[in-house]
Amino acid sequence: MALALAIETSCDDTAAAVVDAQLHVHSSVIESSIDQHRAFGGVVPELAGRAHLTTIGPVVRRALVEAGLDPHAPAIDVVAVTSGPGLIGSLLIGLSAAKAYALAWDLPFVGVNHLEGHLFAPLLERPDLQWPIVTLLVSGGHSMIVLQHGPGEHEVLGETIDDAAGEAYDKVARWLGLAYPGGPEIDRLAAGGTPGTLKLPVSMTGEDFDFSFSGLKTAVVRATEKHPEVALADVAASFQAAVSEQLLRKLRRTLVAYPDVRAVALAGGVAANSALRRGVERVAQEFAVAALLPSLSMCTDNAAMIAAAGWYRFAHGGPSDLALSARPSWALAEIS
Amino acid sequence: MNILAIETATPACAIGLRTNDGFELGWVLDEDRHHTEVLSAGIARVLAETNLRARDLDRVVVDRGPGLFTGLRVGLATALGLSEGTGCSLVAVSSLELLAHGAHLGGTRGTLVCCVDGRRGEVFLQNFRLDDDVTALTAASVATPRSVVIEWATNGAPVIFTGDGVERYLRDFAAVPNATVEHQVVPSVAAALLLGATRDTVAQVDPMYLREADAVANFTTRQRS
Ligand SMILES: [Zn+2]
Repeated sequence: MALALAIETSCDDTAAAVVDAQLHVHSSVIESSIDQHRAFGGVVPELAGRAHLTTIGPVVRRALVEAGLDPHAPAIDVVAVTSGPGLIGSLLIGLSAAKAYALAWDLPFVGVNHLEGHLFAPLLERPDLQWPIVTLLVSGGHSMIVLQHGPGEHEVLGETIDDAAGEAYDKVARWLGLAYPGGPEIDRLAAGGTPGTLKLPVSMTGEDFDFSFSGLKTAVVRATEKHPEVALADVAASFQAAVSEQLLRKLRRTLVAYPDVRAVALAGGVAANSALRRGVERVAQEFAVAALLPSLSMCTDNAAMIAAAGWYRFAHGGPSDLALSARPSWALAEIS
Repeated sequence: MNILAIETATPACAIGLRTNDGFELGWVLDEDRHHTEVLSAGIARVLAETNLRARDLDRVVVDRGPGLFTGLRVGLATALGLSEGTGCSLVAVSSLELLAHGAHLGGTRGTLVCCVDGRRGEVFLQNFRLDDDVTALTAASVATPRSVVIEWATNGAPVIFTGDGVERYLRDFAAVPNATVEHQVVPSVAAALLLGATRDTVAQVDPMYLREADAVANFTTRQRS
């Protein structure tokens, strides 16, 4: 049985996983430094970098041990690692460590695009899925809609022209005086509120597949200033509904434009959002396609998805060179 | 004992290897911040050329700074991956003591002030006495080059300055009366191999930062004002 060790350190999570070539996950360990960033209202690159350096060794060791392997001589066949996009100081640590592990064990290593990793996450739980797939990839750093013709064959149909959806969540949460990260806080509050209480515009209603979230944040600020009587829960529910509405509209538009699509998938940190998950399920039903909603641990950053994409890239492009650089702004379209 | 030394505290990236059969080499792989691209490839090449595999290494000795953060991260993550992966032991040394021992190996004797460029108008520094041995006179700290220059100009005692922090502000340092400059930019990997052979091994290496993260410093200042 061929095994890959994967390492992911593109943002604030230090993650390692052991995944076989059939994409069975043997272990997946994630250590987050989020507690250190809370006071700053966002991920502080310098602190993230410091934390990765402390945690990477123990995290990799745990992933190996939990997969039943000897940490000093594991029966691994390839080391996969996120080499971009992400925070440069964070990427460097995973990439350098991955190269060193590969050197230590005389193994090939392969650099993986983090976003492509997210696109592979549904495959880890649904090996039976059918193509093509449309994926809403929404996180703190990215918001895009991607058409996947098959594994590793993707086409970005649209993306945000300003803020990422997760960024909008954080900004609105900060405005409302909620803790960072904003997504889970707003989601929790919204459960007790009524969407539509606060009238918010759904922007980007054009014919393309692009998103825009910065206007929505401004709208929340204006509307809450004008209507201070609206309860926090109702504000949260209204904002959350407006974000989902924009994403789902574009998703519907894609399904109309590409009728041969067999499934819709959700990926990225914002995919943990309950309103969005329900919405995607609804849209899937409307169009009679499958809904691929990865478990919460597979939506957020993890190394198992990097292993999945790594297996594909290793099989199709061979190993990466030890001279590989980190690419902090590596776009999906630039993968070759 | 097969020892590998990793040096990434300055814009240069260097490695050293000393093998069981007495072979020793030091190699500056790059001088301008290409740590990520050259370090592991350089190690692979040196090992191949000496017919060694990574698992033949008994020890990895790594410079933990102070110095350039980006370089240190690459160096430390690489050292960590090698030692975790092979089970070989890990030894940490500081960039400032490598400068001191490097100068000592080159025959320098006297009072030596080692300065590593800390950017943002500061240097990381430590004072040493070099006679038969190398003795640290102060702890590693951070200061402006100007304050170091003024201190020694006022003091008037003979002093030797060394390190890339001195080279960057060479005119100021060279103008100090009674001072000489030992031109040494890259902390010595020969010294790292020497110290690495005898030092205690560690389970985990943290970089020597000497300064808080910028964001933390700014945040604290903001909170106070
Ligand atoms: Zn991500």
